[in-house]
Formats: sequence, structure tokens, C-alpha cells
Amino acid sequence: MTLALVGGTHRTVPLDLRERLAFSADQAAEALARFRDRFPGREGVLLSTCNRVEFYAAGETAAAPPVEQLVSFLAECRGLDPRVLEPVLAREQDDAVVRHLFGVASGLDSMVLGEPQILSQVKQAWAIAQECRTTGPLTGEMFQAALRTAKRVATETALGRERTSIPSVAVADFASGVFERFDDKRILLLGAGKMAAETLRYLRDAGARDVVVLNRTATRAVELAARLGARPGRFDELVAELAAADLVVSTTGAMEPVVTPELFAEVELIREGRPLVVLDLAVPRDFDPRIGGRPGVWLYSVDDLAAACNANRRSRQREMPAAVAIVEEETRRFMGDLHHRSTAPVIEQLKAGWSETGEAELERLFRRLPTLDEAARGEIRQAFERYAAKLLHPPLASLRSESRSGPPHGLLDALRRLFDLKD
Amino acid sequence: MVDFVSRISIVCFAASYAVALACEASRLVFRSGVRGAVMIGFAAAGLVAHTLFLVWRAVDGQAAPLSSPFDWYLLAAWLLAAISIWYTLANPRTPVGLFMLPIVLALVGAATLASREPFLQSPATMVWGRIHGSFNLAMSVSIAIGGIAGLMWLIQAGRLARKQPPTQGFRMPSLERLAHVADRALTIGAWMAAIGFVSGIVLNAVNHQRRIVESVPWNDPVVLRMAAVVVWLIAADAVARAVRRRPDGPRVTAWLSLVSLAVLAGSITWGLLGATQHGVPPAQRAVDGTPSVPAPREAAP
Repeated sequence: MTLALVGGTHRTVPLDLRERLAFSADQAAEALARFRDRFPGREGVLLSTCNRVEFYAAGETAAAPPVEQLVSFLAECRGLDPRVLEPVLAREQDDAVVRHLFGVASGLDSMVLGEPQILSQVKQAWAIAQECRTTGPLTGEMFQAALRTAKRVATETALGRERTSIPSVAVADFASGVFERFDDKRILLLGAGKMAAETLRYLRDAGARDVVVLNRTATRAVELAARLGARPGRFDELVAELAAADLVVSTTGAMEPVVTPELFAEVELIREGRPLVVLDLAVPRDFDPRIGGRPGVWLYSVDDLAAACNANRRSRQREMPAAVAIVEEETRRFMGDLHHRSTAPVIEQLKAGWSETGEAELERLFRRLPTLDEAARGEIRQAFERYAAKLLHPPLASLRSESRSGPPHGLLDALRRLFDLKD
Repeated sequence: MVDFVSRISIVCFAASYAVALACEASRLVFRSGVRGAVMIGFAAAGLVAHTLFLVWRAVDGQAAPLSSPFDWYLLAAWLLAAISIWYTLANPRTPVGLFMLPIVLALVGAATLASREPFLQSPATMVWGRIHGSFNLAMSVSIAIGGIAGLMWLIQAGRLARKQPPTQGFRMPSLERLAHVADRALTIGAWMAAIGFVSGIVLNAVNHQRRIVESVPWNDPVVLRMAAVVVWLIAADAVARAVRRRPDGPRVTAWLSLVSLAVLAGSITWGLLGATQHGVPPAQRAVDGTPSVPAPREAAP
């Protein structure tokens, strides 16, 4: 039983080469079909995302293909010169493959530490391999264990908890801290900056429905509103729109504040004290910072949100040791189980041999004691089985214990010689 | 089974609540995948023991719920513990137990200081006494919930004003929800207090009229402090209503709710330590009718 991995990530492969090496879903299926023909009886899974291309190979009865052959195989699939890939692709074997996959699935190897999308990409890669019939018991168990490890990392550490993008932090950590729900709130998009659409996506996920778009250029507002599924408003009604809004996402390109304290004083007169969340994502700022000091106004600038994002990133980093410890523990457990699996043929032979001998002795005994009834025979049979199981327990326990630190070749040889077992 | 239930003591459920509280507090120190289950397990075990304790007292004929200051406090604690567990199950990431369980433990502690002697029964007590006890219980629970919501509002608003992301494991409900709970709890608490107080006055007036010995003097400290609590709650609710449409309305309401809880706590403490004839059986009263001094016995507000 062997495992092999070749692959490159955003850390090792330059972007232009990564683009040429990347596989679409169809290309991945095609490559796996080719793998199945080229390496019969071997298992393979191809994980290709915008940040990584990795090929996981395994062999249960036959050894996994050598990593050099896998590099050539990948190059061939993408029409690349293997010599270009050789210096940038990493090669791993056995427990290092397992450790790497567990770390990848848990987001430890991602560009944004702990990002959860990689887990669905791992699942997708596994599904494609299953469709192409290149999976098997080894990769099956390894990927199942990878999903379990990712789940443990997600639940037992805060690695993926804190958000790290400005729009997600703005909505999840701040706007949701003020409002319980968004389906009954008026959202006002002021301007047409890049982050407005992404912030709106998070707000829509949170339930926001009533969205108004304001822009100095009316046609731009209409166009943007149509694209975002919102309603266009008139910029000359800014005061009324601000008064009606519960949450403002402001991303204009204005060089001076669009909302001054004087203008906001007019707004306050007609707001009736309702709280207002302002996500001022424009640089320079659209809202005069003094407005943030008004009661009931929760004003957040890009710098405020960026500081929160950085705090969250530091918090994720602090969780790394705990996440790595989980990956290490799960890798040890998986490798222990894998090594123990390799002892199965010997164990089966051993049990079969003892069972055969026991049955022969029982038959002889029952022939010599023909008066025994069925109940007595059953008791004697059970006593034999218990006796055999107790005698077998210490060597089997030693095998399991030895498997945790590597393949128990020495013990297996000893058992074969002691009990005259055949390979 | 009966033997097991009869041996459940206050220590059993107080200890369970204390362990659950320690689990909640540990959210601030470290993360754990099993802490939530452990916390709920201990809190639920405490609630089951607490329930069995109260049921056993009623079944065994020792005392019905609300029939003595001791039982009144334990029922109030039971209600708050049940609400705390329900809310934690519905919102596992909100550390509501961190705020509610100390009050539960304080009420259990108050019960141990309170008299276990049942309030004497007169025909008027059967009706007005139960109304009086029930509404005071509802008022106390409501004010406790409102005070906790107010405190959580102030903590959450402080975090949002400092522009800090939520502390890990310490995610508060939104200001909108907290303000709503604090506002409603204050209103309900004020109404319950008013009804509880008026029913107490009716009860005492009937007892006075019938010259029943357990009637309480009108200048008894309990009557005076409860009057003060009722006046405070009605005033606080009126102020909260007046500022509802002002930008700083939720903050004012949060403070009013928190102060109301403090006023109630002060009233209870005063009741536990002071002298009164409220709820005191005639046999324990001084001969001249003045409040008996030494035994700290009065409990229910």
C-alpha cells in the first residue's frame, strides 16, 4: 500500500504556469480516464483550483506510480514540457501525502488561511474521480478522513470563524451586530464602487430585499440597479433616501464628503431615532467622520473594517498550532489504520489456522464422547473459541500497537515463522 | 426512586448550575468542541434536580410553589434557569448563561437565607395571596431578563462603538433584539409589579378588615420598599416610552433596565437582611405586633 502526490500551489508555481497547468472539470475527467488506462489497478484523484494543481495516487495491491511518472503524466495531459514542471512541482509519499491532503482540506495551505471553499473543491475533485472510476479503498478512506479532519479543525478551532474580507466583516461582524434581520430593512447603495456589489451579495445572503441605488449619474444608477436587482433612486432626494434607509453602503468616487454633518442634521430630523448603519467603503470617505459620533449612528470606514479584518487574520494565525495538531493526530491515526490493514492477511491466516486445528480437535473429542447432548457440545465449542481468542489477543494487540509507528514488518515476519504461515 | 428524589438537596442543583456557569465563563479563555454539550448537560441536570426538588416538596406536602419565601425564590430561580437553557439551545454561540446563571445562583442563595415557614392561609390569601405572589414572581423574572438584555446591549454597543470584531465565543445578540427585549421586559415588569402590589394591598386590606392576625402593618419595610420598586418601574417604563423614538432611546432603555434589576436586587437584599412582618407566621412575631428582629426570614419581594 503506497501513496504518492505531485502538485504545485500558489507558493511554488508562478501564476502563468499555474494557468497552463490548471484543469477544468472536463479536462480533469479526461486526465483521470487516461490515468486509469495508463496505470491500471491504481487509484487517482486530481485536485485543480485556481491556487493549486495536485494529483493524489495510491496503490493497494500494486505500488502507486512513481512520482517522476506522475510529473510526466501531468505534463503530458496539459501539453507541457515535463522539464518545466519538474523544478516547481512538489513530490510527497505515504504519510506526507496524507498530512498534506488533511492540511489542504482544512484550509491550512490556502492563500487565505482557513478559507472554507477548498473543502467543497476537495469534495468536487473526489466526485469527479469517483465518476471516472479511479477511486478505490485507499483514496476513499484518505479523502473521508480528510473531510473528517477539516470538520474537526472547523469545529475545534476558530481558524475559519473570523471573516477576513472587508464586505463580509462589514455585514457579519458589524451590521449584524446592530440589526437582527435585514428583510425588513432599507438598504441604500450610494455610488457604484467595486465593493458595493460584493457587500450587497452578503446583505442579500442575510435576507436584504429592499435595496435602493443612488448615483450622481441617473443612467448609471438605473444600469447598476438593474444589474444588482435593486431599485434606482434620485440623487437629488439624498436626504429623504438617507432618512428612509437603515443601512447605507457608500462607495462614491467623490473627493469631498457627500454627507456632511449639516446635511445629516436634516436627515436626523425625519429619521425618528431609528438606528443607522453606514458602511463607508469609499476613499476618500463619503461620510464626514463626525457623523459617527451621533447617537444611533454606527459609522464604519474602510480603515475601521480593514483593522477588524487584520485582527481576524491574526486571530486565525493564533489558531494554527491547534489546527496543525489536529492534522497531525488524524494523520497518525490514518497511517496507523493503514499499516494495520496490511497485517490483515497474516491475521486471517493465523485465525484460520487456529480455527481449523480447534475444529479438528473438537470433532475428535465429540466422537469419543457420543453421549454429549447439543447444549454440552455448544458449551465446549464456546470454551474452545474463547480459549483461542484469548491466546490470539496478545499478538494481535502487539500488531495493532506496532502499526501506529509504522508498518510492523518485523512482527509479521516473526508471526509467519513462528506459526508457519505462508505468504 | 422516591428515596432518590427525596434526597435531592439545594446543593445538588446549585452545584450543577455553578459548573455550567464555569463552562460558560471558560468561553472567554479557550475553545472546546464539547464545552457546549457539557454546559447544557450540567445546566439541564441542575434543572431536572431543581424540578424534582420542587415537585417533591409539593407532593410530600412540605410546601406548594409560592407558599413560602423559600419556595418563591426557588421557583423564580427555576424559571430563569429554564429560560437560560432554552435560549442557549436556540442560540448556542450566545453566552446567555454567563449572565443568567449568576442570577439563578443568587436566587438559590437567597432561598437558603429565606424562611421556609409557609405564609399563613386565610380565605383572602387563597385568592389575593396567590395573585400577589404570582405577579411578583413574573415581575422579578421579567426585570431580571430585561436587566440582562440591557447589560448585553451596553456591552454589544461598546464593542460596535470601538469598531472591534466580536470576541471569539462571546457573540452577543443584535442591538435590535436586545433593545426589544429590554423594552418589553421593562413594560411587562412594571405592569406585573403594579398588579402584584395592588393585589398585596387588597390582601392586606381584607385581612385588616377581618382583623386577621397575619395582616402586615402599612408602614412595614416590605410594603414601603415594594411601593418604591413599583414607582421606580412605572417611572422607568414611562421614560423608556418617552425616549423610544429618540436616537439614544435604546441606550437609555438599556440603562433603565439594568438599574431596575439593581433596584430589585437591592430590594431583595434589604428584605433578606431587614426586619418585617410580611410573610411571618404569628407565632414568630413579637407580642406587641412589632416586627421580629433577629431572624432574617422575609424573602419574597
